[in-house]
Amino acid sequence: MLKMTRGAVALAAASAIVLAGCSSSGSDDEPTTDSTAGGGEPTAEAQAEDITLWLMGTDTPDTLIDYLKTEYADVNGGELTVEQIGWGDAISSLTTALPDSENTPDVTEVGNTQSATFTTVGAFMDITDMYDELGGDSLIQGFVEAGSVGEQRLALPYYFGSRMVWYRKDLYEQGGVEVPTDLAEVTEVNASLMDDGVGGFYVPGQSWRDGISWIFANGGDIATYDGSEWTATLSSPESITGMEQWQELFMETSVAQVTDDDSTAYEAINDGFLPGTPAATTMAPNWAYWSLGDIAENDEGEPVATWNEEKFGAYALPGVDGGVAPVFAGGSNIGISASTQHPEGAKTLMRIIFSEEYQTMLAENGLGPANLDYADTYAEVAAMGDIALTAAENAKLTPAAPGWAAIEEAKIMEQYFAAVAEGGDVADLAVEYDDQINALING
Amino acid sequence: MTTKRSPLRPLFTVLALVLAVMWVFPVYWMVNSSFQTSATISGLTPTWLPTSGSWTNYRAVFSDSTFSGALGMSLAVTGIALVVCLVFAFLGALAVSRFRFRGRKSFVLAVILVQMLPAEAMFIAQYKMISGLGLLNSIAGVSIIYIAMVVPFTLWMLRGFVAGVPADLEEAAMMDGCTRFGAFMRVTFPLLAPGLVASGVYAYLQVWNEFALASVILTSDQSETLPLWLRNFAQPSSLGMIEWGQVMAGSTLVAIPVIVFFMIVQGRMTSGLVGGAVKG
Amino acid sequence: MTTSAPARELLDAPPPPARPRTRRKRPRLPYLLIAPALLALLVGMGYPLGWQVLNSFREYGLAQQFGEAPAWVGLDNYIALLTDGGFWSVLIKSVAFMAVTALATMVIGIGLAVLMKSIPSWSRIALQIAMLVAWAMPIVAQMTVWNWLIDDRNGVLNYLLSYLPGVDLVGHNWLVDPWSFFAVASIIITWASVPFVALSVYAGLTQVSEEVVEAAQLDGAGGFQMLRRVTLPILRPILVILLLLQLIWDLRVYAQIELLQGFGAAGDKYDLLGTYIYGLGIGQGHFGVAAAAAMIVLVFTIALSWFYVRELIKEDQS
Repeated sequence: MLKMTRGAVALAAASAIVLAGCSSSGSDDEPTTDSTAGGGEPTAEAQAEDITLWLMGTDTPDTLIDYLKTEYADVNGGELTVEQIGWGDAISSLTTALPDSENTPDVTEVGNTQSATFTTVGAFMDITDMYDELGGDSLIQGFVEAGSVGEQRLALPYYFGSRMVWYRKDLYEQGGVEVPTDLAEVTEVNASLMDDGVGGFYVPGQSWRDGISWIFANGGDIATYDGSEWTATLSSPESITGMEQWQELFMETSVAQVTDDDSTAYEAINDGFLPGTPAATTMAPNWAYWSLGDIAENDEGEPVATWNEEKFGAYALPGVDGGVAPVFAGGSNIGISASTQHPEGAKTLMRIIFSEEYQTMLAENGLGPANLDYADTYAEVAAMGDIALTAAENAKLTPAAPGWAAIEEAKIMEQYFAAVAEGGDVADLAVEYDDQINALING
Repeated sequence: MTTKRSPLRPLFTVLALVLAVMWVFPVYWMVNSSFQTSATISGLTPTWLPTSGSWTNYRAVFSDSTFSGALGMSLAVTGIALVVCLVFAFLGALAVSRFRFRGRKSFVLAVILVQMLPAEAMFIAQYKMISGLGLLNSIAGVSIIYIAMVVPFTLWMLRGFVAGVPADLEEAAMMDGCTRFGAFMRVTFPLLAPGLVASGVYAYLQVWNEFALASVILTSDQSETLPLWLRNFAQPSSLGMIEWGQVMAGSTLVAIPVIVFFMIVQGRMTSGLVGGAVKG
Repeated sequence: MTTSAPARELLDAPPPPARPRTRRKRPRLPYLLIAPALLALLVGMGYPLGWQVLNSFREYGLAQQFGEAPAWVGLDNYIALLTDGGFWSVLIKSVAFMAVTALATMVIGIGLAVLMKSIPSWSRIALQIAMLVAWAMPIVAQMTVWNWLIDDRNGVLNYLLSYLPGVDLVGHNWLVDPWSFFAVASIIITWASVPFVALSVYAGLTQVSEEVVEAAQLDGAGGFQMLRRVTLPILRPILVILLLLQLIWDLRVYAQIELLQGFGAAGDKYDLLGTYIYGLGIGQGHFGVAAAAAMIVLVFTIALSWFYVRELIKEDQS
């Protein structure tokens, strides 16, 4: 399935590249960034260097990887090796390899929420001097901050994704409900579908990256920084209100289980995904587009999803008083390892990644480009790009705290959401998990 | 013993067959699922027999770019670690069971204690060491650690076997004019064969199964061992669900070498172990 | 005087052939023989173990991993752990898990071995093959298959259980509740370890000679007495080793728990010592504390198995 989906992405990318020829000219407000477009910079020709790039998970499609390899060979003359590290191994692999100059990846992607853990201990090279060249203030600022320590720029944004709500038009129609316009309606609409046995909301119990929107929308947050220390704020009144609203959503509308996580949410509204009551609504990043649709077998007998505009739709999660709720800004950062032995080669690769051409390719593949100058391309070309962009403008990051990666590794947020989904008392649980977060968040 | 129980024998037989089914069921289910298409596999009603006999899942596994590499890596690492470990452990076992020497007791104690060490906290140091030797992602690097990991248990098992072969036999042969080495090779060694097989099986199993340390020191896709490969293969991708049919085909392929190996050596395995323990 | 000379000769006589042997061969040969094994241990474990002991007394976190000099903190890491309720709860859970799993494995394994003795050979061979096949399953494959068996939606277990009257388990996830999670883990590990125990004990039983059994029967020994007086003493050394191995393996179980957690259940509620130490170290970057935890577990394991270890060494000397 993965293979097929990626195949589909590749196909779409190939056709989108043709489109890109026309649309990329639309975003030339800042011509300065064009100078970064790979290009035969004289410094890079000094000597050919073989370097390694680590990408996390399989989110970067093969066509983009191939592009990087060819382009790097052209500019530098050396060979670029790309390793894909599973997200589950990301932290342990980075922890062991980054300080080890013999085996470090020269350039590595890192989850945006994990950046601070590594930037604060000096794992990334200071590239403040390249910052403007690579896009400067056009880069998505929340991510820039996540990868900076003070004024030092260490890990820059790579791509962003924003979560949106995917729904089944036919089921909404069958249940006689409309797309909700505020957060309370999201619960009402799905509860009504559920009562009629038409469908429900696929709310995985551990999917805090989706559920956190309910806290954000009510004005709450995970933790705040007072200039010297991070303090968890799950037990603030706003956070608790949001969490209770999410608990109600889970209790009344969820067709997912307490143990499900967001990895299963992508395809949830496809036909036949769930036995019994189908899911009419789910939350997933915009690239879930490639996994959703009518299922049919391809020539090799493997199921492939084809998007069906009649049956499937998407909308941005509405806020408490209408408008758009802040969602979790997924995505990642990218930087040069401080222990690299090939700083020039690594910088060349960074220039290629932040070039107009590559940023456009990211956009076409549904990955939000780090450089917002290309956001227009993204909105036009990427599937659901317009909704994704609306959502992204309202997106929030998790705390850029040194201990955040440890919190993710210990799965504290997953446990908090699962405990709430099981029906626990939100106020009590919030205090309990605040303590757990406080124990780790400052590193 | 058997004569007295005869009235209950049919009952015991039935019980034995039920238990046999219980133990073999997961294995059967793995093979069965590996032949199902994803449509039948995700259906609500299980399909009990692989009547459709589809090889699609196996084709998918073989077309996975990293599978053959992982198979090669696993075979190489297991082969090297097994041979080296058996030789080292055998020599050590000989020393411990045939000689009294200063430090013998501490050595035996060390061999037992090493097996009680929790491995998980040492991964980072093992990474540093292997990386310092420039052996990250290499067969040699992972083999070094695996040998150290399995030598103690193998030595401990072999110790019992060696002790089980009376030293008198060797001495008798020496009287007949053999050298000590010659006597050993002609008399003791053949008697130890079952013991070597039995110990070899455990060493093989441990190495073939290991994945925690491998995941730390084999960071490249090109140097995965089979358990690592299977674990990654079985993870739901960020874009989809677990393809159970393919995962079961992968599991079957990882299990087959072990099952075959077991079938070949099975007769000697258990009798060997017990011989060692009883006489040790 | 006259007798003393030959007497001394007599006394002196035996050593000459023996002494050169002990002098020339004994001291060197055994050391040469253990050298490769010792070297393998030193190379593979020496540095890591030394590093672990050292850093259990130092502050060693991510900052140190990335180059900061580690500071000596004495027993701080140990104190932090021993005063942490989380560590104790994991330790207690692990010990309980070990006790239940090892005991179940031993009881079922011995039972199966006795059963094998009392059934016709065709059914015994069927049972033995089933055991062998299950035993040969690599851990990752085992866990993957079991996860598929207990899958909440399409798993065959829930499907079959739902045939029981009044039971509807389709959609039930066995890995949510920590008790249920550990029960599943324990069942899988028992399933996987029983063949080793059963086949070993069975092979041991076949060594109990028929004559001994018949003699005991003639003496009027009943089934239970036979077991206690004849069979058990002969099997004792095997049982001691098997039990010790099960205890060690089940206490430091890591792979199965880690994989089972990967299949859904997340967080420290589902941790045993192995995953806990891994999470502390490589997961969260608290290497010093993880090293201290490993040392505590080592000491604990030694204490727990001291009785057996001592017995083994005593046997070894006799």
